[in-house]
Amino acid sequence: MKAIIGLGIVLGLLLILPSIQYVLAAGDEPGEYLDRRVEIWGLFYRLMIVAFTIGTVVSGTIVWLVLRFRESNPKAKPTEYEGSGEW
Amino acid sequence: MSGHSSWPEWVYIGVVVALLCYVGAEAWNIERIIEHVPADAEIIKVTGQQWLWTFEHEDGTKEIGELHLEKGKAYKFEITSIDVIHSFNIHDYVVLLDAVPGRVNTVWFSPTDAGEYEIQCREYCGLIHYNMRGTLIVEDKGA
Amino acid sequence: MFSTHHTDVGLLYLITSLAFMFMGGALALILRLELFAPGTQVIADSMTYNRIFTVHGTTLIFLFILPSASAFGNYLVPIMVRYKDMAYPKLNAIAFWMIPPAGALIWLGFADFTWYAYPTYSVISAPGPAADMWIFGLKILGVSSILGSINFIVTIMKCKHPDLPLSKMPLLAWAYLTSSLITVVAVPTFAAALLMLLTDRLGASGFFNPLMGGDPIAYQHLFWFTFHPEVYILVIPAIGFMYEIFPRFSRKPIFSHGSGVTAFVLLALVGFASWAHHMYATGMSFTEKTVFMVGTLAAVPASAMHTFNFLATMWGGRIKFSTPIMWAVGGIALFFSAGAGGVVNSAMPLDFITHDSYWVVGHFHLFVMGTILFGTVAFVYYMFPYITGRMYNEMWGKVHFILSFVGTVMVFFTQHILGLFGMPRRIYDYPPFPEWVQMNIIISIGAFIIGISMAIFLANLIYSSAKGKPADMDDPFGLGGKYYFPYQAKTPHTEDGGYH
Repeated sequence: MKAIIGLGIVLGLLLILPSIQYVLAAGDEPGEYLDRRVEIWGLFYRLMIVAFTIGTVVSGTIVWLVLRFRESNPKAKPTEYEGSGEW
Repeated sequence: MSGHSSWPEWVYIGVVVALLCYVGAEAWNIERIIEHVPADAEIIKVTGQQWLWTFEHEDGTKEIGELHLEKGKAYKFEITSIDVIHSFNIHDYVVLLDAVPGRVNTVWFSPTDAGEYEIQCREYCGLIHYNMRGTLIVEDKGA
Repeated sequence: MFSTHHTDVGLLYLITSLAFMFMGGALALILRLELFAPGTQVIADSMTYNRIFTVHGTTLIFLFILPSASAFGNYLVPIMVRYKDMAYPKLNAIAFWMIPPAGALIWLGFADFTWYAYPTYSVISAPGPAADMWIFGLKILGVSSILGSINFIVTIMKCKHPDLPLSKMPLLAWAYLTSSLITVVAVPTFAAALLMLLTDRLGASGFFNPLMGGDPIAYQHLFWFTFHPEVYILVIPAIGFMYEIFPRFSRKPIFSHGSGVTAFVLLALVGFASWAHHMYATGMSFTEKTVFMVGTLAAVPASAMHTFNFLATMWGGRIKFSTPIMWAVGGIALFFSAGAGGVVNSAMPLDFITHDSYWVVGHFHLFVMGTILFGTVAFVYYMFPYITGRMYNEMWGKVHFILSFVGTVMVFFTQHILGLFGMPRRIYDYPPFPEWVQMNIIISIGAFIIGISMAIFLANLIYSSAKGKPADMDDPFGLGGKYYFPYQAKTPHTEDGGYH
C-alpha cells in the first residue's frame, strides 16, 4: 500500500516537472537553443527513476516471497493441494 | 483459482499500462522538441567512409578527422556514407545518426561548452571500425 | 541415432544444443580476455575479433537456444497432448539433421559481419567464402526451424487427444504452439532477405546496393521484421519451462492458466508491431519512430502478466528450493530487469545515447542469458532424472546457480553503465579512458566467473549421467506430487470426471 502511494508521489512529480518545462520552452535565437544533452539525459533520469521504483517493488516482492514461502520457514504450512498429491 | 483472472491482476495491469503511457508520452514530447531545427543552423556535410570521417563547412572548408565548430552556434549535420553503413556519434553531445550510402540523414545540435570531444563510429563497418575516430573541437566565438 | 522416435530426436537436439552452448560461451571468454585491457591481449588482429563475435552470436542464438527449445518440445509435446509421437516423426528427424551441417558451415566459414549481416558491408566488403557459407548455413537453419514448427503446430492442433480441450492444455504446450506460429509467419521473410543478400553478393541484383538503385535500409526492415518476433520465439519456450517449474516446486497449481494463455497469444500477435525500434538511428521520420515505440510498449503488459503469474503462484505455496526453481526465480528477476531496460530503450530519444553501445549488449544479454539460458538450464536440471534416470549433484547445481547469477549481474548490469559512458559495441580495442578500463575489468572478471560455473555444469552433467544416483522416477525432487504422472496417463481424465 505504502509502495503504491510512494509510487504515486514520484510519478506526480515526474509529470509536473516536464509540463513546466513545456510551458517555458527554449527559444530559437543564438545562445538560447535547447541543449540536446540536457533534454535527452533528463528523460533518461526520469525513466530510470520509474524503472528503479518498480524494480524495487518487484525485486522486494520476489525476495519476500522466497523467504516467506520457503519450506524451511517456521510459518510454512502445507498447501491445500498436498493432501491429494495433485497440483 | 486456476483459469480466471482476479482483481489484483487487473489493477496490476492497469498500473503497468499507465506507466507505459507515461513513458510513451514523455518520449514523444522530448523527440518532438529536439527535432525542431533552428532556421539559422549552419549546415555541415559529414561523410563517413572506411575508416575515417570528413567534413565540409558551408563556406567550402574541408576537414579530415577533425571538426572545428564555434560555441553557441546551431549546426545541422547532413550525414552520408560513400561505402558501407557507419554511424556518426559525438557521445558527449548525444549526437548519433547512421551514415547510410545512398541517403542523407540530418541531425542538429548546438555546442555549449568549448573543448575537445570524441567522435566515434557506432555501426560495425569492418576492420578498423574500432578505431574510426575523430575529434570535435569547439572554440569560443572569434577564435 | 537415426531413429525418428520423438524422445530420441529430442535427445539429439539437446546434446547438440548444449555442445554449441559451451562452444559459443567459450568464444565469449576469448572476447572478454581481449577486452580486459586496452591494447592487444590474446587476439592478434581486429578481423579475428570480428569473426569471433559474429560466430559467438550466431552460434548461441541459432545453434543453442532454438535447438534446445526444439529438444524439449520433441520430448514433451507428444506427451503433453497425449499422442504417441510427433505428427510427422521423420520430419523432425530431418529438421534435426540439418543442424550439424549448418553449424559446420558457420564454424568453418567464421564470417565477420555480425549476426545481422547488414548490407552494404555484407555485400561489398565482407570477405567470402565465409560470408556465403554463413548465408547458406542460416538458410538451412531457417528451413529446419520452419519444418520443426509445422510439426509442432500440427501435432498440437490435430493430434491432441480428442478429450483434451486446448484450454486445459499445459502452458508449456501453449508456449510451443505460439512460438511455432510466430516462426512460420516471421522466418520466411528472413529467408527471402538472405536470398536477396546472396544474389547481391554475386552481383546479380542490387536490392540493397545504392549503386545499383537499391536501399540498404530495406534489408534492415526485412531482417528485423523476422528477428524482433524471433526474440519472442526465443523467450516463449523459456517462459514455458518456468510454467512447469514454478507450480510443481511451489506445491500448488499455476495462479491463472487463462492469463498464461492470453499472455502468450498477445505477445505473439503484438510482437510483430515493433520491429523498427532496432532502426531508430537509421534516419526514420518522427511518425515512423512513434508508431514503433507504441508497438514496442504494447508488448510489455503480456510479459508483465507472466511475471505476475509466477509470483502469484509462489504466494501461499510451500516452496522447496532445489536447483531448478532457484534458476527459475533468478531467471524471473533478470527477466524483469531486462524488460525494464527494454522499456527505457523504446523511448526514441534515448536511442541517441544507447544505440550500438554496450547498453544494448547488456540489455539483450539479460534476456538471452538471464531469462532464456536460466530458464533452459532450470529445465535441463528438472528433466535430468526424466531423461537419464539418475539425479544430478544438487550441491554443485546450486553452486552453478550462484556463480552464474553473480557473474551475470556483474557482466550485464555493468555493461549498461559502460554503454552510458559511450563505449560502442563490436570493437576490438578501445582508448584507455579510465572509466571504460575499470568497467571492462569488472565485466571480464564476471565473465570468467560464469565460465567457471559452466565448467562445473558440464562436469555435473557428464558425471551424473554416468554415475549419478538412480532417481525415484515417481518423485525425484521429493515434492510430494507426481513427476510427469499426468502426462504418462493414457487419457487426460481423472477418476472423478475432471482433468489432470
